[in-house]
Amino acid sequence: MKGFIKIVMILAIIGLVSACADSNSPNYQYMPNMYEPVGYETYQQVDFLPGGTEAMTPPENTIHRGWLPYEFANDLEGKEMARMQPSPLDTLLMEANLAKGKELYTIYCGICHGNLGKGQGTLVKREKILGVPSYADAARNITVGSTYHTIYYGLNSMGSYAGQLDYEERWQVSEYVMQLKQDLTK
Amino acid sequence: MASHYEAPIRKPLVLGDKGYHDVSVDIAAPVEGRANKQWWIVFSIALAALLWGVGAIIYTISTGIGTWGLNKTVNWAWDITNFVWWVGIGHAGTLISAVLLLFRQKWRMAINRSAEAMTIFSVIQAGLFPIIHMGRPWLAYWVVPIPNQFGSLWVNFNSPLLWDVFAISTYLSVSLVFWWTGLLPDFGMIRDRAVKPFQKKIYGLVSFGWTGRAKDWQRFEEVSLVLAGLATPLVLSVHTIVSFDFATSVIPGWHTTIFPPYFVAGAIFSGFAMVQTLLIIMRKVSHLEDYITVQHIELMNIVIMITGSIVGCAYITELFIAWYSGVEYEQYAFLNRATGPYWWAYLLMMSCNVVSPQIMWFKKIRTSIVISFIISIVVNVGMWFERFVIIVTSLHRDYLPSSWTMFSPTFVDIGIFIGTIGFFFVLFLLYSRTFPVIAQAEVKSILKSSGSRFKALRDAGKPLYTISKNGIVRETIIGNEEEAAVSAEPDKESLLSTLGSFDSGTQEPDDLKKVKGIGPLMEKTLNKLGIFSFLQVSKMTQKEYDMLDALTGAFPGRAQRDDWAGQAKMFLNNDK
Repeated sequence: MKGFIKIVMILAIIGLVSACADSNSPNYQYMPNMYEPVGYETYQQVDFLPGGTEAMTPPENTIHRGWLPYEFANDLEGKEMARMQPSPLDTLLMEANLAKGKELYTIYCGICHGNLGKGQGTLVKREKILGVPSYADAARNITVGSTYHTIYYGLNSMGSYAGQLDYEERWQVSEYVMQLKQDLTK
Repeated sequence: MASHYEAPIRKPLVLGDKGYHDVSVDIAAPVEGRANKQWWIVFSIALAALLWGVGAIIYTISTGIGTWGLNKTVNWAWDITNFVWWVGIGHAGTLISAVLLLFRQKWRMAINRSAEAMTIFSVIQAGLFPIIHMGRPWLAYWVVPIPNQFGSLWVNFNSPLLWDVFAISTYLSVSLVFWWTGLLPDFGMIRDRAVKPFQKKIYGLVSFGWTGRAKDWQRFEEVSLVLAGLATPLVLSVHTIVSFDFATSVIPGWHTTIFPPYFVAGAIFSGFAMVQTLLIIMRKVSHLEDYITVQHIELMNIVIMITGSIVGCAYITELFIAWYSGVEYEQYAFLNRATGPYWWAYLLMMSCNVVSPQIMWFKKIRTSIVISFIISIVVNVGMWFERFVIIVTSLHRDYLPSSWTMFSPTFVDIGIFIGTIGFFFVLFLLYSRTFPVIAQAEVKSILKSSGSRFKALRDAGKPLYTISKNGIVRETIIGNEEEAAVSAEPDKESLLSTLGSFDSGTQEPDDLKKVKGIGPLMEKTLNKLGIFSFLQVSKMTQKEYDMLDALTGAFPGRAQRDDWAGQAKMFLNNDK
């Protein structure tokens, strides 16, 4: 009986102590010596910078190494000029580029445009959004250059994907879109 | 005992006219008595030192190791010096109780208890340093290989610092068990003598219900022997492992194969010196001169002399090998010790450790208590400097001259060291007032063979049991009690005159059997004398006890020893 009471007491103490852990807030730490960063983390909140965040916009009109600005403007005129631009990717690596493009397409585009580019993505089927055209739509005379422009700036309801995809990836997706279009119109 | 043969050359180990009871009384006296003023003064000083040390430790841990005098080159100094010093001191205790037990040295019996206590207390001091010299002592538990949530991240078993953890913790626990096992019969003795209920309770708890049956004793002896057999290699390995901290390194002056035995010899050397220091004071303060005799001091001095010579040989060996090796770094390390900026520490170490024990060759000196006391302190100073010299002089100048530097301690380094000395003495002073400082059970086992009184009787060819003066051992036939009481009839008037008479018509007789020491027969005897009530018994003093002894002739001194008057007073008060 005595032993039983002891066991119950120990369990009660364990229960009490573990009750102190709150799943809605970070748990207690033992001696967090190097747990909080001394340096500044990318998206860390800071008091001394405008906007209160560590992530600040770079100064305008600066070019960092390994990057060039897109030469076409974000308007219909720019889009028309972009239409003529060919893909700068190496045609000998077409296979690999298309594979990569497919991968990226299914992640970023397929949800609306459909994995086959018919405009029947999951969101469209569930009627969350409407009015996504098929790549085969004759009225939409898309080329690899105009696709790139659209990915870069977005068009109407579609937003820009320049933040998600880098220069090479955008061209890979564009090439893959042309491939889909080709498959649809076949 | 007639068949006993002991070489006549052996001097008695227990002086004075001591019987078994005297041993108990002498050893229990400091425990049962009250601390005097001097004790409180010394205790307060030690406590103040301890508190100062605690402050220094808290300051170190909360502020950082940078409060010490360490630098990037000399990153071990006072901390590890003190650690090795305390560990070394701790070694004598186990040596005395274990090695001397294996060698059947009877003289160990008067000193082993205190030596073991010293071991425990100094290992505790030593154990502080590995923790507090850590940069992050709160993560000290990481040195223990426990399964954990870092993918069961383990310790590396290649480091002597980890071996230290195992060595020191094993050493402390084994010493503690060895010490406490030996204490059981002695705590039992104190428990049985205790009059106050609190003391009785406490000593009843710590003596683990020791009853001293033949089976208990037989197993007790076996355990002692086994533990002694285990403790001996432990002593040797513990300090060996401590020496590996240095010997396994690549530092010139540290990387030596001589360190393990040399450190152990040094440990015994400094440990015995510390025992000497403590016991010379203790025998005087606790009036144990009859047990810790000049012969004990002399024998300890001989051990100090021998181990001191071993240490001296090691010094010479090191110097020779440095020269013989042809390694410039090694040669410079020793040149630096002797003539570098710490030449004074080297000189102090050499003179204290090599020269001072050599004067023990003179019998006049090694039997002199005052000189032994001084030498014992000198040796410990020297051994502190030995560790300091080894650690600091090897570190502050090694391979790259660009990293040569100096070391000087801060008050925090010194404060922590003083604190450990204070802590040690706090523990030792408390121990000396609460623990039987001499293993009475063991001393009693050699009393008849090595006690001066029994030796004298044996030499005179007299039987040992005839000595019945002072009434310590006297055969009593219980049947004689009544007879004795009757024959003593004429004297009882004078006894009753002070105790007051008892009127059986108006008063009710008390149950005298409640008093410890009064059995049914003794009660009858007392009743015959006219003693019926606690009131009468409570009035008894020395005079009445003597008269009672004379009247009854049974168990002389018993009434006084059991404090019948005191007990009767207690019962009187309880009745009211």
